[in-house]
Amino acid sequence: MKQIIAKVISNTRILKELERRRALKRPQPRDVLGSYLLWLDCPELTPKAKPGQFVMVRCGGKTILPRPFSIHQVNNKGNIALFFAVWEDGKGTNWLSQRHIGSKVELFGPLGVDFSIRSDSRNLLLVAGGIGIAPLYFLAQEAVKKTRSVTLLLGAATASQIYPKNLLPSRIKTVITTEDGSAGKKGRVIDLVPEFIDRADQVFACGPIPMYREMYLQRRKFLKNKPTQVSLETVMGCGRGVCYGCTIKTKKGLQEICRDGPIFDLDDIM
Amino acid sequence: MNFSVELAPKHPCGLLLANPVMTAAGTFGYGTEIEDEHLFDIQKLGAVVCKGTTLEPKKGNLQPRLVETASGLLNSIGLQNIGVAALIREKAPIWVKWRVPVIVNIAGETLSDYAKLAMRLDGVAGISGLEVNISCPNIKAGGAEFGANPDSAAAVTRAVRKATSLPILVKLAPNTSDISRVAVAVAEAGADAISLINTLRGMAIDIHRRRSVLGNITGGLSGPAIKPVALSMVYQVAGVVDIPVVGCGGITTAQDAIEFIMAGASAVQVGTASFANPSVFLDILKGIKQFMQKEGIKDVSEFIGVVSG
Ligand SMILES: Cc1cc2nc3c(=O)[nH]c(=O)nc-3n(C[C@H](O)[C@H](O)[C@H](O)COP(=O)(O)OP(=O)(O)OC[C@H]3O[C@@H](n4cnc5c(N)ncnc54)[C@H](O)[C@@H]3O)c2cc1C
Ligand SMILES: Cc1cc2nc3c(=O)[nH]c(=O)nc-3n(C[C@H](O)[C@H](O)[C@H](O)COP(=O)(O)O)c2cc1C
Ligand code: FES
Repeated sequence: MKQIIAKVISNTRILKELERRRALKRPQPRDVLGSYLLWLDCPELTPKAKPGQFVMVRCGGKTILPRPFSIHQVNNKGNIALFFAVWEDGKGTNWLSQRHIGSKVELFGPLGVDFSIRSDSRNLLLVAGGIGIAPLYFLAQEAVKKTRSVTLLLGAATASQIYPKNLLPSRIKTVITTEDGSAGKKGRVIDLVPEFIDRADQVFACGPIPMYREMYLQRRKFLKNKPTQVSLETVMGCGRGVCYGCTIKTKKGLQEICRDGPIFDLDDIM
Repeated sequence: MNFSVELAPKHPCGLLLANPVMTAAGTFGYGTEIEDEHLFDIQKLGAVVCKGTTLEPKKGNLQPRLVETASGLLNSIGLQNIGVAALIREKAPIWVKWRVPVIVNIAGETLSDYAKLAMRLDGVAGISGLEVNISCPNIKAGGAEFGANPDSAAAVTRAVRKATSLPILVKLAPNTSDISRVAVAVAEAGADAISLINTLRGMAIDIHRRRSVLGNITGGLSGPAIKPVALSMVYQVAGVVDIPVVGCGGITTAQDAIEFIMAGASAVQVGTASFANPSVFLDILKGIKQFMQKEGIKDVSEFIGVVSG
């Protein structure tokens, strides 16, 4: 792990604000004001970074705790990208969205455990709910490098929230769904899973807890006993396993999400 | 320049720190985690204070355990820890090899818990001292904190004193009506030093869900929000006891640390600030050195408690 000051290479809003209340017709406590793709120059971090791992970003302004973000992309020039949603009244994400090219951002990482692709897995099924594409993008890139075949199921509330097609990783198959049917198939991303599960050797998912719960409760239908890894979120203090702020109960006993995760086997956490 | 400070001048072995910057209990694990990370040289710290340790392992509270508040952090970890036996078995052998002294923070629910803990840790190689957390509910006295009144605070101190030959720091809770009286009682009962403050009880509510944010309803407030409170309590306590005082609460910069030392602290502990900046300890130490250089101060002791009433 390294603690560094990274220069901002670019910081672009690639998804506009989501008026969730209207789009989803159900009450949401907070709206998303847009989602940003932030490229940072951090050659100290890239050699060690693996898909599923995250970094802690010190967000300045009025924040006390650093904010965890998955490593979204890594390139061969020593840069990493974060893909983050800016929350209405989110102190850290608003601050981060206002960093301009050339400004400095303090962060440390890479942290946590990565996704693991089994040596005998040929076909990988990636399931991304909304911002859940953040860690799965990096996984898709690495899997392609390792000559695996990748299918990415990408779901969002509405068309404006779907990751731009021209920015998606190449050489993978992407299937899009929206809850309102404004792009791709209409419905939830999870409902696409049964259609693709037979061919998959392994499943990797990132999305909200209810999505994981449903996948698990109906695992015969959705997963057909295919090994499934998911990425978990909690509020984090240290991100380094020293404060016990992120502890959860698992089938393997108490685990710290920041150190024993954020990637877990779905079976272990349900 | 001399940065070293003695935290237990009345103790036969003493507790000499190479510099006045320590970690705060519960925010630095067992110190062993950071070693694996190679983030900075832990041996450069004044002392490491480890996670609060109980007789049996503890699972801690329900999630959520943390919530950021205005200039502060509320936590309700619930003393999750591996228990004293595992600490002696797994951690102490690592500490033995360190130059930096390790102080074990202990917590109990009864006087006998504290005494037993102190006894088990007495003579364990790798442990240089104990810090007694008296912000715990006293089960036998209806759950009031031991640290809330002078008598129960003194009783805990005496129980630990009798059970160990290690230097002991007693860590005071701010949740009391008269911290000076508690401090005097603890000093008279045999504490080698006093550290303060632990977190202030606090709460946050999620107005959409209409319930408390923390799984445990209330928690302890730390961070810059509590700094002025901590500073004034350090000032107050340093004025009434003749043993060293260790200041803690919201320290983020060298300036903060110097304020605490001027208020009467011989050393400082840093917790919450290390979450956003894991190597903050060394930044603070560097800042203190620069300050001393500029002001022509040769020894930390020259400015301990220079602000006095
Ligand atoms: C391992 C991990 C990886 C993540 N990766 C991404 C990512 O790639 N892209 C992305 O958009 N988001 C990601 N998140 C969620 C992201 O950390 C939060 O959206 C962000 O912290 C919100 O900060 P804020 O300042 O806007 O909100 P505030 O409301 O100001 O935050 C207050 C506190 O709550 C915490 N918090 C709020 N929401 C969350 C959340 N959903 N998860 C964890 N902590 C939260 C904050 O960190 C902060 O400590 C990840 C979370 C974790 C745990
Ligand atoms: C996550 C967390 C866990 C803590 N655990 C303990 C503990 O186990 N024992 C203890 O005496 N104090 C504990 N504390 C209190 C700190 O040691 C310190 O007294 C307090 O946080 C104020 O300092 P700070 O503002 O620098 O964090 C904890 C604080 C935090 C934030
Ligand atoms: S966030 Fe501190 S232990 Fe995980």
